[in-house]
Amino acid sequence: MKLALDEYAHLKSWIHQWEAQHKLVGLIALIFAFALVEHWQLIPFMLLTTSLLYLTSRLPFSFWSERIRYPGLFLLGVVILLPFLSGTTVLWNWGILTVRQEGMVALFLIASRFLSIITVGLILFGTTPFLTTVRAMRSLGLPIVLADMLLLTYRYLFEVANSLTHMQRSMRLRGFQYQPRRRLSHLPDRQTLDRLASLAGTLLVRSYEQSERIYKAMRLRGYGYQKINTFVNTEVQPKGIRLWSMAGLVCVLLVALSFVVAEVLI
Amino acid sequence: MHIPDGLLPASVCIGGYALTGGATWYSLRQINRRSNPTEDIPKAALLTAAFFVASSIHIPIPPASVHLVLNGLLGVVLGYYAFPAILIGLFFQAVMFGHGGLTTLGVNAAMMGIPALLSSYLFCLHHHFHRTKTSQSNRWVILFAFLAGAIGLGLSTLIFMSLIITTIPSGFDASTEQMALYGLTIAHFPLMILEGVFTAMLVLFLRKVKPELLRGES
Repeated sequence: MKLALDEYAHLKSWIHQWEAQHKLVGLIALIFAFALVEHWQLIPFMLLTTSLLYLTSRLPFSFWSERIRYPGLFLLGVVILLPFLSGTTVLWNWGILTVRQEGMVALFLIASRFLSIITVGLILFGTTPFLTTVRAMRSLGLPIVLADMLLLTYRYLFEVANSLTHMQRSMRLRGFQYQPRRRLSHLPDRQTLDRLASLAGTLLVRSYEQSERIYKAMRLRGYGYQKINTFVNTEVQPKGIRLWSMAGLVCVLLVALSFVVAEVLI
Repeated sequence: MHIPDGLLPASVCIGGYALTGGATWYSLRQINRRSNPTEDIPKAALLTAAFFVASSIHIPIPPASVHLVLNGLLGVVLGYYAFPAILIGLFFQAVMFGHGGLTTLGVNAAMMGIPALLSSYLFCLHHHFHRTKTSQSNRWVILFAFLAGAIGLGLSTLIFMSLIITTIPSGFDASTEQMALYGLTIAHFPLMILEGVFTAMLVLFLRKVKPELLRGES
């Protein structure tokens, strides 16, 4: 598992410099404005806004393409039949295949919304260190339990994933391989299931034991006693950057609002 | 079984966030009632990471393989932490791999988290049927663990199918919708049984190796 969220958070662009709190509010508003789009006339504007944001964020193309591949294929699998099954206006007919206008529009609308939302989400989390993003979420009202769990999960996710990889490799080295049943060969056999359940169970037990050690270490460092909120961002940004950041927020909110207004007016 | 961004209308996404907000508030209220609510946070966080990773274990079903959802098991192990754990797991899946989405995070969390909470309650019922740790009690544990796993996935599947069929912006006729719903539900039935069997096996393993991981077993 090597898809770290903030591997390009060190780059320099106006989106990277944007204050995390403002960025979070602005881009989430834009994401929901995109989710509201129901008219095909707004598709080009939505894609243009997204492309402009991504290009100016200076995030590499590979960062986007690596993350879009799997969900893109999944979405395509879900909506690919829409032009053939949905709607009444026939655009093209070839034997039993009939392409319908309403289904085609729905396909483009869903695909464009998906691409725009996922890209803006990548910009949001790819241009800020994850700790800063969680701090911004916390200052916007995220409960402390969720904030702590979010950070600890992110901190140990890769370690647990590595642990599973090691265990699976060890199993293979010790001769574990899938043996098909003699009868009903398409069903998994009990022994295989039992071993895979033990694998998952061992992963849970190891994580549990590690969590006990982590909790003791955290307690020794004062976790649970502190009255002050360690998540509140105490960094004071220069006035110029704050003003600039606020201007960025207003601009993005205006863009989001214009999508909502256009949607209502069309 | 994650609904991706762009598929659902905004009203459904907002409704999903409202439901998730309510369920999170309820779970956090139950967690904060404990004498030391911070005590279980590292445990819940690491188990969230472990569940996130464990759900990538593929079960061979020749010629293909499937991966399990494990939301029922999450309920069995984490109790009230199951909902926040699912919310966080889905958040990471959405932003790191694009499974699910940010706008559909509320819908997806409610779809998997509420059945997980129900599975948690369901599994706790096994205590009413036995009081000691005997081989007889193992049967009840297996039965309730199976039900928790199977019903956790079954409810999520039902919600997923209903949402996809009823909200997809299309001109499907009623019979096509009905056929798709029945077909997909039937296709998921063997997976429910597989999830139930796997959950029961895992619960038995944990009961032998680390019973304190299961709610009320320590």
